[in-house]
Amino acid sequence: MTQVYDYLVVGAGPAGMAAAIEASHAGLTVLVLDQAATAGGQIYRNVGHSSTAQERVLGPDYSLGKPLLKAFMAASCDYQPLAQVWNIEPHAQGFTVAALIDGRSVNFVASDLLIANGAMERPMAVAGWEKPGVMTAGAGQILLKASALLPKQVVLAGSGPLLLLLAHQYRAAGVTITALLDTTPRSNYWRAMPWLVAGLSMPKQLIKGMWLTLVQRICVPYFANVADIQIVGDAQVKAVRFMVAGKEYEIPTNLVLLHQGIVAQTQMAQTLACEQEWSDAKQCWQTQVVKAGQTSVPGVQVAGDAGAIGGAQLAQLEGRLAAMARVKQNCTHPSWARKLAYFALSWRIRQLHWARGLVDRMYQPAPWLSTPTGTTVVCRCEQVCAAEITDIAKAGCAGVNQLKAFSRAGMGPCQGRQCGLNLGYLVAQAQGRSMAQVEPLSVRSPLSPINLGQLAQATEL
Amino acid sequence: MIASAFSLLNQPSSLNPDTCRILLNGIEHQVPVAMSVAAALLYLGQGATRQHPVSGQPRAGLCHMGVCFECLVTIDGQQNQRACMRPVSANMSIISTPKDLNS
Ligand SMILES: Cc1cc2nc3c(=O)[nH]c(=O)nc-3n(C[C@H](O)[C@H](O)[C@H](O)COP(=O)(O)OP(=O)(O)OC[C@H]3O[C@@H](n4cnc5c(N)ncnc54)[C@H](O)[C@@H]3O)c2cc1C
Ligand code: FES
Repeated sequence: MTQVYDYLVVGAGPAGMAAAIEASHAGLTVLVLDQAATAGGQIYRNVGHSSTAQERVLGPDYSLGKPLLKAFMAASCDYQPLAQVWNIEPHAQGFTVAALIDGRSVNFVASDLLIANGAMERPMAVAGWEKPGVMTAGAGQILLKASALLPKQVVLAGSGPLLLLLAHQYRAAGVTITALLDTTPRSNYWRAMPWLVAGLSMPKQLIKGMWLTLVQRICVPYFANVADIQIVGDAQVKAVRFMVAGKEYEIPTNLVLLHQGIVAQTQMAQTLACEQEWSDAKQCWQTQVVKAGQTSVPGVQVAGDAGAIGGAQLAQLEGRLAAMARVKQNCTHPSWARKLAYFALSWRIRQLHWARGLVDRMYQPAPWLSTPTGTTVVCRCEQVCAAEITDIAKAGCAGVNQLKAFSRAGMGPCQGRQCGLNLGYLVAQAQGRSMAQVEPLSVRSPLSPINLGQLAQATEL
Repeated sequence: MIASAFSLLNQPSSLNPDTCRILLNGIEHQVPVAMSVAAALLYLGQGATRQHPVSGQPRAGLCHMGVCFECLVTIDGQQNQRACMRPVSANMSIISTPKDLNS
């Protein structure tokens, strides 16, 4: 007979691990599925197997994941690594979740779901970003965390805390950073000013962030207010060209790592028809949350960066709160202590989200990066360039989903993960609409391509 | 094949990682265990993963976290596998032929 879990958690990052610990301690049957080889999520990737050299380079915040990982591994929940969730659909007893494990599709059934699959980096469509030799800063950090692999030399370009953190980590590891090209528009600093009060509510983090910024400015060849980045090269990157205050620069390099913040991965929640909303502060779509992670679809919660981007600490607290809310369903008379803990946690989460307002405003993407032009490739899978998209948008297409049918942009295997946002920005610009008025790219199952052989071998657990 | 732009983080030689044998386009290599296939390609100096089906240009993994689908290779006969999502394992056979770059 098929086992029906009380709580199925997708993602073993801080949010998913914290939720699984809380729910299994309260006696629920919990299953955690994660596509990575080890638990930890983005921030704590591979923390259970890292070497001392990796820990030294990655810094103390990385090692903070160890106690959480230990508690997760000790919790009485089922955990399946290397399990890629590719489909979720309603089932008589809740939901069926299909995951690809070891080359075959396995179905799991659960009454309630927590989607904690985290964030991805905001695509940064600069001219030539499709050439080999361009990766994201997150990719660079993943190679370091999971494979202890470092580039010998690199140019970092973009904006946001992760880019600065990676510069810091690479310097500690002795990587030659030929240049750091900061695309943060100067106007962002002014726009963020009113939010300084919010940042001041977390003085430790604020000082850490300022110090991180300052150190890179001093220790790395640093260019501020960079615009019009172009990747130069044929089959492989040879140089990066850019403008600062009307002056053109060209720096030879064979590796460029791009980054401009992170955006929520909403695709999984979208396949379940969870309502989406546009966040002006975070400049991305996110799944609407009523309270304690509850989405518009009964039985489906989101927590951590899969919901509203907030970083590791918030992810962990949100995961815990979501699990507490799920446990509350089974418990008609919760104790006063539990009620109090629940309210204290909700309040803390609110406060941390407010404090995050500073980072959100400071690192909003530069407008020239959101609305690429000319032959810059926007949809990498179908090779559709910016001018083509703008032309179709100007001709009056109804929105990104109609644009997809006309241009094929967003139809490739990545399902619009790399172009969806820019398609939206281009349509909004061409038609003089706001992003909130342009709907998000729709998502269809499978979430990642699956072949017939894998499907034919499907099993129920 | 070109010289790799990547190398392993220096650690004491006593901690040198265990390696395993893989076949890349039929040629034998030793790579550290637990590396992703995409990382192994970079480690071996193969900067691109595939030939783009529309443009014919070589392409390489962008995100290394499963969201860009640029790292598609054939692993043990299964086509279109995301190289960044699969750790290497002993005797794994990987076919990755981004024609223009590595020929
Ligand atoms: C590339 C990258 C690097 C980052 N590095 C840092 C850092 O160094 N420091 C920092 O403070 N913050 C970092 N962040 C921010 C990070 O999002 C948060 O700090 C934190 O990890 C969020 O926790 P989470 O639990 O919400 O999600 P995550 O930690 O992202 O965990 C989500 C988990 O879901 C899994 N998953 C995703 N899709 C599927 C699927 N279809 N099937 C199965 N499993 C799936 C993933 O494998 C992952 O383990 C990074 C973000 C990114 C995108
Ligand atoms: S590198 Fe992006 S999916 Fe593998």
